[in-house]
Amino acid sequence: MTPELGLVHFQVLAAALFCLGLYGVLARRSVVMILMSVELMLNAVNLNLVAFGAFRGEATVVGQVIVVFVITVAAAEVGLALAIIMRLYRGRGSVNVDDIDLLKG
Amino acid sequence: MGIEQAWLIPFYGFVAFGVLALFRTFLPGQGKLLAVLAVVAGFVTFWPVLFDFLDRGVGEYHIAREWFTAGELSVGWGTIVDPLSIVMLALVTFVSVAVQVYSLGYMRHADGRRHRDDPRIGWYFAAHSLFTASMLTIVLADNLLVLYVAWELVGLCSYLLIGYWYERPSAAEAAKKAFITTRLGDVGLLIGILLLVAETGNATGTATFDTGTILELVTAGVLDSTIVTASAFLIFLGAMGKSAQFPLHVWLPDAMEGPTPVSALIHAATMVTAGVFLVARLFPLYEAVQSAQLTIAIVGIVTALMGASMALVATDLKRILAFSTMSHLGFMMLALGAGGFTAAIFHLLMHGVAKAMLFLSAGSIMHSMNDETDIRKMGGLRKRMPVTATAFTIGALALAGVPPLSAFWSKDEMLLAVQGGLNPIFLVLFLVAIVLSALYMARAIRIVFFGPLDRDNARVHESPAIMSWPLIVLGVLSLAIGFIALPLGGGFDGIGSFLFEASHGPHEFEFSVLWSLVGIVLAGGGLVAGWVLYAGPRERVDRIRERAGGLHRLLAERYYLDPIYQFVIDRVVLAMGRILAVFDRRFVNDVGVNGPGIAIVETGKRLRYHVTGLFADYGAAMAGGVALIALLMWLRS
Repeated sequence: MTPELGLVHFQVLAAALFCLGLYGVLARRSVVMILMSVELMLNAVNLNLVAFGAFRGEATVVGQVIVVFVITVAAAEVGLALAIIMRLYRGRGSVNVDDIDLLKG
Repeated sequence: MGIEQAWLIPFYGFVAFGVLALFRTFLPGQGKLLAVLAVVAGFVTFWPVLFDFLDRGVGEYHIAREWFTAGELSVGWGTIVDPLSIVMLALVTFVSVAVQVYSLGYMRHADGRRHRDDPRIGWYFAAHSLFTASMLTIVLADNLLVLYVAWELVGLCSYLLIGYWYERPSAAEAAKKAFITTRLGDVGLLIGILLLVAETGNATGTATFDTGTILELVTAGVLDSTIVTASAFLIFLGAMGKSAQFPLHVWLPDAMEGPTPVSALIHAATMVTAGVFLVARLFPLYEAVQSAQLTIAIVGIVTALMGASMALVATDLKRILAFSTMSHLGFMMLALGAGGFTAAIFHLLMHGVAKAMLFLSAGSIMHSMNDETDIRKMGGLRKRMPVTATAFTIGALALAGVPPLSAFWSKDEMLLAVQGGLNPIFLVLFLVAIVLSALYMARAIRIVFFGPLDRDNARVHESPAIMSWPLIVLGVLSLAIGFIALPLGGGFDGIGSFLFEASHGPHEFEFSVLWSLVGIVLAGGGLVAGWVLYAGPRERVDRIRERAGGLHRLLAERYYLDPIYQFVIDRVVLAMGRILAVFDRRFVNDVGVNGPGIAIVETGKRLRYHVTGLFADYGAAMAGGVALIALLMWLRS
């Protein structure tokens, strides 16, 4: 008997995905990699939202709608972030976060 | 116009000061005529006030005006018009006019063949105006707060005018000395006033600065007697400072560094009498505190003897007059201490007129002798300066107590008061002081105006008319003013009953044949003795001086009080200051101020290692923080 696919499985998957993203954010130096990791974390959250929306068993699609919004905003954010990264690279010749220390006292 | 407008009398002076202080460089003659106009306006305004006062009948008129209210405390800027303030107003406004007019001449110096004004003439007249206005405010003030403010203002003006020629180090030093010495007394005055005011609050529920109310409460015995006694002594401390009473008199001789008209107005006729006035104004307070009254009498007689004896040996004309002023202020204090309110105020008036004239005469001599004040270089000036010589002689004889000149009358009354109110010892000492004052006046006249004319002084000449006329007016006044002691008809029963009627003094005037005879004999004896002594050959005087060498040195060195004070300041005050400075540096500064700062810097140095500047560390801290919050929330749910 195969176990039924339940909410918990989705949550575990989402948590794993989130931790993967968090690790990437903390461990990577390259801004591009960090950005990709952030996307991973965002998608982990999205997965959670969709799962909750589906398993609430109600006729509403609020969870799914929010996810659509998040994806949209994330797309915009990535566009902006990549533009900033490009300027950064042109200006400083590096995309290493630890080199970007202009605000350090 | 009437007594309601009495506030205008000082007002003009304040306006003149404001205008001159700000705009004097734009005004012709630096605005000196404006200042003179202001004092003249004050003098003119005085007359309707006087006539209205006489019309209404002699009494005490209190015109209250509100200044500000803070909670329960209400302070006014009203005026008191009573015989005491009328007499003071008359003296101050009149002498101010005489001195200001005289200053117009005195403050022009020979510059080659032309005469020109002193370069800071506008400032001189500005300070003069401020002084006159403040002095009049003291006289009129109906509450102790306004009185105190004006009291400090006259001290300030005294400082400014003594140090008017501040290029001279001695003048700058003298100004500081005068200010700081009187300040010592003023601290007492302020504490005394505040104690009294706070006690009225305790006793009645509402504190008040109003002089009349406070005196009523004191007389009624409502206030705590310890506090009343303490404040009586403290307030007298202020009076001692201003009126140059021993031991705070040391500033007065040095104050002669100022221009001579300043000495005439401030350090002879008006400001130095402010202390006498203050005690007279608060007389019920001193009647209530017998010990304070006795102290006043003791301080008065000590000051009188000290001043008179120092005047005997001084060789500087202005200093002789300063010591004489000190001595006469001592007389006034003595009379007040004896309960002779009326006698003291009468003498204040007589002395003010005569001494102002003496100083103006001295200024006239200095003006034509290139600021020479050493009497040994004078002599025979009577032939060259007849007006000055006559004025000086009249003033000196008046103060020595020769009838019928001014101070003869008041001295008689003071003798009566002292006889009635105090131990006979005071009376004996007082008589000694009278002889001394006749002696030093005779000496001054003899040396300065008689004898052969020094060859160096052949070019000395009489001062210009603008300086002679104030002398003439004051001289005529000195001759005549003593008669206000007598009932002159027209409802005027003599100054004694004028002052007595509304005020509290126990002593009305009575003419005493005995005391006037004693006064005449003593004054005459002193004058003749002084004359004979100094008319004789110089060797005789020198021999006496040698024989009493120790005494002479003691007097010439002013009882060694200045070195003693200097010693106390150097060894005690400054030593304590150094100890306090160490405390301030080590404890207040190093521990109290620098301590917290150093602590913060050190903490920062240790804490800053957690700030790595590495992105990953911040991210980990953030994630860890979120996880921690989540854990806490989970545990709580």
